[in-house]
Amino acid sequence: MEPVDLTAALGPVLGDRLLGVEAFPRSAGRIRFERSGALDLFRAVRDSLGFRHLSMVGGIDWTDHREVFYVVWSDDRREYLFLSTDVPADDPHVESASGIWPSANWHEREAWELVGIEFDHHPDLRHLLTPDGYEFRPLLRSFKLHEPEELEVKTRHV
Amino acid sequence: MSAPASSAPATRPVVPPGATLESPAPLPMVDQPAVPFIEIETLRSKEFIPAAKEALGSLIVEQGQTKVVRPVFNWAGRNSLFPLHWGLACCAIEFAAAFGARWDAERFGVVPRSSPRQCDVMIVNGTVTWKVAHKLITLYEQMPEPKWVIAMGNCATGGGPFRTAYSVVPGVDKLVPVDVYIAGCPPRPEAMLDGILELEKLIRERKE
Repeated sequence: MEPVDLTAALGPVLGDRLLGVEAFPRSAGRIRFERSGALDLFRAVRDSLGFRHLSMVGGIDWTDHREVFYVVWSDDRREYLFLSTDVPADDPHVESASGIWPSANWHEREAWELVGIEFDHHPDLRHLLTPDGYEFRPLLRSFKLHEPEELEVKTRHV
Repeated sequence: MSAPASSAPATRPVVPPGATLESPAPLPMVDQPAVPFIEIETLRSKEFIPAAKEALGSLIVEQGQTKVVRPVFNWAGRNSLFPLHWGLACCAIEFAAAFGARWDAERFGVVPRSSPRQCDVMIVNGTVTWKVAHKLITLYEQMPEPKWVIAMGNCATGGGPFRTAYSVVPGVDKLVPVDVYIAGCPPRPEAMLDGILELEKLIRERKE
């Protein structure tokens, strides 16, 4: 299948919120975008480009900022597409993709509880892997290993 | 029998109305025996049956519970230990293998049951996370008394290699009382059977 021209397809939709389109190995490419254009980008990628399956959502802690990335898959094109946006560490908010791809629900819950990415307008932002009331964001680089007794005190909700 | 007829009414115990024959009012400065002593020879025939029943009954209840009933119950209990059929991590593979043909834990009367209400022993076989901790406590509380807990493997014993992890309970004895710990990562099925035999020793010495 013809390689898709991502810049031509998404440039009119996003404008200057499209920060860059890069080649990425074994995929259609990698799109870096401003987080304010998240929902517009998601709709364009799903409806115009045909990437109808969201494979995963994740968060990365780069110490000075955090990155939220989405991996989407197109059954027609048989290839992946990577979407990524940067959020500041002190304001890690991004719009939830659950309304576009329902499979984003649990992935965003996991990214929220482990890396601390706040997904706005998420329908059900509860803990997925850690117990309710868990205070830590254990995949952040600032998280230190605790003594077991220390953790036990802070998770005494059971 | 050879006492004169005139002294017989004097030795007959006088039972006032309202008082029981078997437990007369204690006299001061007199030690009460453990089993009330009854002068059988002085009883009327219709008084003998309830008096003997009471005297022997207390004996039977006291001695029979410790020497007959309790050993029989312990024998029955330790030869039909039903563990809860659930698996948490890789120890559950060894747990399952112990019930296969090679090790055949059923020869010890160990039959895994799927409902906690039919179980005697909970074998915690795997890493207990804080997420599953309150479910484990719920399952334990659903089990009827008497109940025991076996912590199988290093994770259930003390957290294992994940002791300092952010999500792992450092030992299941933080949540429920544990009777037997089995070392190993994971323990072989022989070790699990050895833990069950250790638990059977505990039940053999059980007093109540």
